[in-house]
Amino acid sequence: MSRSRRLQRLSSASSSSSSSTSPDRGADDDDDNDSFMLRSNDSQSSLGLETSAEMANDAAARLAYEERCRVSPVARLPAELLISIFARLSAPSDLRNCMLVSKEWARNSVGLLWHRPGMNRWDSIHNVVQSIRKSDKFFAYPDLVKRLNMSTLASQVSDGSLIGMTECKRVERLTLTNCSKLTDVSLQPLVDGNRSLLALDITGLDQVTDKTMVTVADNCLRLQGLNITGCKKITDMSVVAIAKTCRHLKRLKFNGCAQLTDTSIMTVAAHSTHLLEIDLHGLSNVEGPSITALLTSCPHLREVRLAHCTKLSDDAFTSLPSALEMPFTLDALRILDLTDCNDLGDKGVERIIDACPRLRNLILAKCRAITDRAVLAITKLGKNLHYIHLGHCARITDYSVEALAKACNRIRYIDLACCSNLTDNSVTKLAGLPKLKRIGLVKCAGITDRSIYALAMGEAGKNSGGRREAREGRGHGHGRGHHGSNGGSVLERVHLSYCTNLTLDSIHVLLNHCPKLTHLSLTGVQAFLRDELLVFCREAPPEFNDHQRDVFCVFSGNGVGRLRDFLNNEKALQLASASGDSSAPPSMMGDEDRNGVGIVDVDGDFDGEAESDGSTTPVITVDVHGDRHAQGGTPVAPMPVPGPSSGLLFTGGQQTQHAMAGRWQPHVGPSWNYPPFHHQHGGGSSAGFGFASLSSSAPATTGSMLSNWPGSNNVPHHYQQHPSTQPLPPFHHSHQQHQGAGAQHVTGMMSAAALDDVDEEGDETLGEGSDEGMGD
Amino acid sequence: MSEGEQQVKLVSSDNVEILTERKIAERSMLIKNMIEDLGAPGEEAIPIMNVSEAVLRKVLEWCAHHKNDPTPTQDDDADSRKKTTDIEDWDQKFMQVDQEMLFEIILAANYMDIKALLDVGCKTVANMIKSKSPEEIRKTFNIQNDFTPEEEEQIRRENEWAEDR
Repeated sequence: MSRSRRLQRLSSASSSSSSSTSPDRGADDDDDNDSFMLRSNDSQSSLGLETSAEMANDAAARLAYEERCRVSPVARLPAELLISIFARLSAPSDLRNCMLVSKEWARNSVGLLWHRPGMNRWDSIHNVVQSIRKSDKFFAYPDLVKRLNMSTLASQVSDGSLIGMTECKRVERLTLTNCSKLTDVSLQPLVDGNRSLLALDITGLDQVTDKTMVTVADNCLRLQGLNITGCKKITDMSVVAIAKTCRHLKRLKFNGCAQLTDTSIMTVAAHSTHLLEIDLHGLSNVEGPSITALLTSCPHLREVRLAHCTKLSDDAFTSLPSALEMPFTLDALRILDLTDCNDLGDKGVERIIDACPRLRNLILAKCRAITDRAVLAITKLGKNLHYIHLGHCARITDYSVEALAKACNRIRYIDLACCSNLTDNSVTKLAGLPKLKRIGLVKCAGITDRSIYALAMGEAGKNSGGRREAREGRGHGHGRGHHGSNGGSVLERVHLSYCTNLTLDSIHVLLNHCPKLTHLSLTGVQAFLRDELLVFCREAPPEFNDHQRDVFCVFSGNGVGRLRDFLNNEKALQLASASGDSSAPPSMMGDEDRNGVGIVDVDGDFDGEAESDGSTTPVITVDVHGDRHAQGGTPVAPMPVPGPSSGLLFTGGQQTQHAMAGRWQPHVGPSWNYPPFHHQHGGGSSAGFGFASLSSSAPATTGSMLSNWPGSNNVPHHYQQHPSTQPLPPFHHSHQQHQGAGAQHVTGMMSAAALDDVDEEGDETLGEGSDEGMGD
Repeated sequence: MSEGEQQVKLVSSDNVEILTERKIAERSMLIKNMIEDLGAPGEEAIPIMNVSEAVLRKVLEWCAHHKNDPTPTQDDDADSRKKTTDIEDWDQKFMQVDQEMLFEIILAANYMDIKALLDVGCKTVANMIKSKSPEEIRKTFNIQNDFTPEEEEQIRRENEWAEDR
């Protein structure tokens, strides 16, 4: 107990002094504090002072204390307040400086500093180990270490480094992820005698055996979290021991522990009723009955990952207690991963949905047997469903996917890779999901530009302006539209590899409508395999062969913005040159239309901010008022004449597009082009107005103009028939990409090897799991 | 009169009565609980045993400015544990007082259970410590160095890993 505290109590007992305002600390804290003091001399000397202070009469002690506080007001703070101040210091160097201020400060800061010693550099580790092992150290550092994390140096860490930490018996969280050189030699002595361990992560320590794990079972009775992913030598023997003795287990990750069988899982089911999360990725020995037992006896389960548990079939779920006898639901279950549980069929999925009505993430990738029946069952999840992976469920059709989009309107993430039955009808419906951030359509070869336009238009395309306003007016509760009034599309990641029908023009519209886009994959899409575009594409993964490299085309991070800028510039150049062509006919638009459109847009009659940085965009320098036309067709080109290659870019694109467009838009005339760029109609004014909308467009405009559309699938009709709405679609010149949002996640085991999946590597098929913030 | 506008009477440690709005006083969980326990606010004076008038007035000034702040949720609690020392402008100005008062405010916030004020106080002191050498810290708070040079050197050596590099 520190001197100041004791005085604090003295003064508080004796009078109404304003100095003592803190509640007494419990005995535990005091014990802890004492244990910091290893050097008997120091603690003796300070204890000696305290004793004498205690023996002196109250008045004298108070006087001394008041004097001390007068000189140094900070002395009034009791230890726990000093500690809570020190706890705000994030830099270890600040804490170390506090330690050097005085003995009282040292006592109150050393615990924070050593709570999680620096293990990120070799010289740090060396110094830490040296201090830990010293015989005459100033403080009992080993007992202060509560978190030990060596995962930064990972595979460089050897037993020799870790063994220096053996003395640290109060470690609560031991994280040795991918320290693959470590063995029982250092790990077993470290956990031996540790009664404090709460979480142990030895992911990737494939040399660790049952020896360490049995020691964990014998000692670490408080263990709650255990991650032995990839520890291939560990067997049922030690896992059974841990399940039996560690009764507080909450999170277990046994991914890839290929030796584990039903014996382990049955024991966990029988003993670990507090379980919240279990990962059994790739445990190919595990069969249905143990999973049934697990789900039945662990009612608090929130996350269950059974990917590649290939022996599982419907009976793992159909054997769950039937609702008739005894209502059985796993109300807590939010995440269920059944990737590649090949024998799972519609019946299993139906039972899962009945038993787990609040599932948020459901991953059924490569459950190839499931059909529309399973997807229709999934629609029962309604608003609860945020994340659904149906990649390679090739039997499903538009029928169920449309129903899914209708019923589950809070879906943020959907993957339908290789669902080759799907057509534009599915995507058009999915495009209306107001919170859709990520859509995977790899190898959905049936989809066309129509899907992409729908995605670009988002929810707005479906709703009349009136309805939309009314709904937003109602205020909270409802998510902003996909193109809500404050910020446009929320779409971040779009996977379109091998959607071979797609053209440059639809993607250009998508880019300009989705300012948050950070990932766009177009591998194998012919229209994009051009050198001038591929410069913005990211590097192919090193393991790719030549053919894979040839077709690789993924834009991510900055690349998306650069592609957008490039395409916009190309368009501008092309328009500029078109408008400079004196033989071009005057605009097809009447003056009335021109004014109506141009003025409204230029004046920026809305609250959007998306265009705020538009002035820095080259295309914006085009004269938006169109008076060049009146002055005799002066070229409005703001920049040099386009080079031949860039000039060709869009011409080619248009031709392709017309061909494509013709398939679903038979009324399109030969001169039709997509909305903002009516350069084929000639006149400078036309071009000018096109850009007027570029520079000043905002979601509000989109909404009102889209309001007439019964559905985005007949967008081109609309353009054709109502030229006054031509400035569609507006552009969001948001060059500031949200880099962080769609950042690459390492998916570990989920990263698929198949070529068609490679551009999905960044997707957090599993990673979204712990994100609770999105929930209702 | 709504519940929030009700007046409550507080008594400082030096026996000065202070009238304030109930809503303001209830930023203090100590007072809020006492009012709930007492039942009839306004009638009985609430003693704030360990806080002097000057400090109590200062604390109530803070409470008045923050009386409409939303009640902190669990999430905010978790956030405050995050190591940030950002302080909003008004609070920063409010905390520009001498050290005597600064630490009295912290003690009072702790005693009266006003988490947000305690948080601001601790952050303010943490900011006074940040990036200073041990000697500069001692100077700032007028703390006497009670280490021998040997002890100081030993601690320096044993905690070398925490140095900025």
